[in-house]
Amino acid sequence: MSEAYFRVESGALGPEENSLSLDDTLMSHEKLPVRTETAMPRLGAFFLERTADTDNAVPRGSKLELPSWLAKGLFDNKRRILSVELPKIYQEGWRTVFSADADMVDLHKMGPHFYGFGSQLLHFDSPENADISQSLLQTFIGLNIATLLHRRSLTIC
Amino acid sequence: MDAAEVEFLAEKELVTIIPNFSLDKIYLIGGDLGPFNPGLPVEVPLWLAINLKQRQKCRLLPPEWMDVEKLEKIRDHERKEETFTPMPSPYYMELTKLLLNHASDNIPKADEIRTLVKDMWDTRIAKLRVSADSFVRQQEAHAKLDNLTLMEINTSGTFLTQALNHMYKLRTNLQPSESTQSQDF
Repeated sequence: MSEAYFRVESGALGPEENSLSLDDTLMSHEKLPVRTETAMPRLGAFFLERTADTDNAVPRGSKLELPSWLAKGLFDNKRRILSVELPKIYQEGWRTVFSADADMVDLHKMGPHFYGFGSQLLHFDSPENADISQSLLQTFIGLNIATLLHRRSLTIC
Repeated sequence: MDAAEVEFLAEKELVTIIPNFSLDKIYLIGGDLGPFNPGLPVEVPLWLAINLKQRQKCRLLPPEWMDVEKLEKIRDHERKEETFTPMPSPYYMELTKLLLNHASDNIPKADEIRTLVKDMWDTRIAKLRVSADSFVRQQEAHAKLDNLTLMEINTSGTFLTQALNHMYKLRTNLQPSESTQSQDF
């Protein structure tokens, strides 16, 4: 008798996320700060407080926050449409905080999909890619595996 | 593997009992047992010993390592060494728990033995945690741990392999993967 539901693993840490994975879908809802390189007609309907044009176009060079599934789809290597900025926690300042002491930061509050989202960010070809991936790895290693193991261990006796 | 499965495997260990009934030799798939004569010690697997004890058909004899002085020596040796020392039985934890739960009246100084074994267990688990921590922190490729029992491995095995998988995936991100770009829209 086979099960009705098989959980699909998140592929976010690897090269591409799994389109069937619920975890990846939730993760791709996180917002990315973005700068438009070209005017986008009618997108302004979602940002009514910012545009006053009659056809609701978002002008060139405006800063928006888009979910990452949208940003990824619009991103192009020749950068005609968008340019992506890194969210705060993946930038230089926070990277030094993580390298100093990863234990003290509440990663979950920063964004529940810190590693997955960070790994997907590498696709946007930022010049800081090498540093970001190094920082992700170092933060993970810095986790105190000993205390995590203790919380999960069973006492038998 | 969960703890119940490890306990199941531990129940194959042989212990000595003194039955109060008599029975001819029985031929089981795993091997022959018996014959059982009242008052004469016989070696049986733990699962049978516990079952007979619960039905009040036998008296259990503690294994020869389950003795306060011997366990004290092993415990002190374990505390001194940085690596893991050999244990009196590959299933010392399960044997202790089952025998002390079901047959503590047949085992002298049961409470002390319980405390000593728990001390040994705590020391070894602490060593295992420290070892796993340094393994991840220094990103070592290979670790060798001798003299670990299955129950100890079982407590941290799944979590450790998941953590190492995670670390591996993050590490492969360090090499840029331009060759695997997805198709254009």
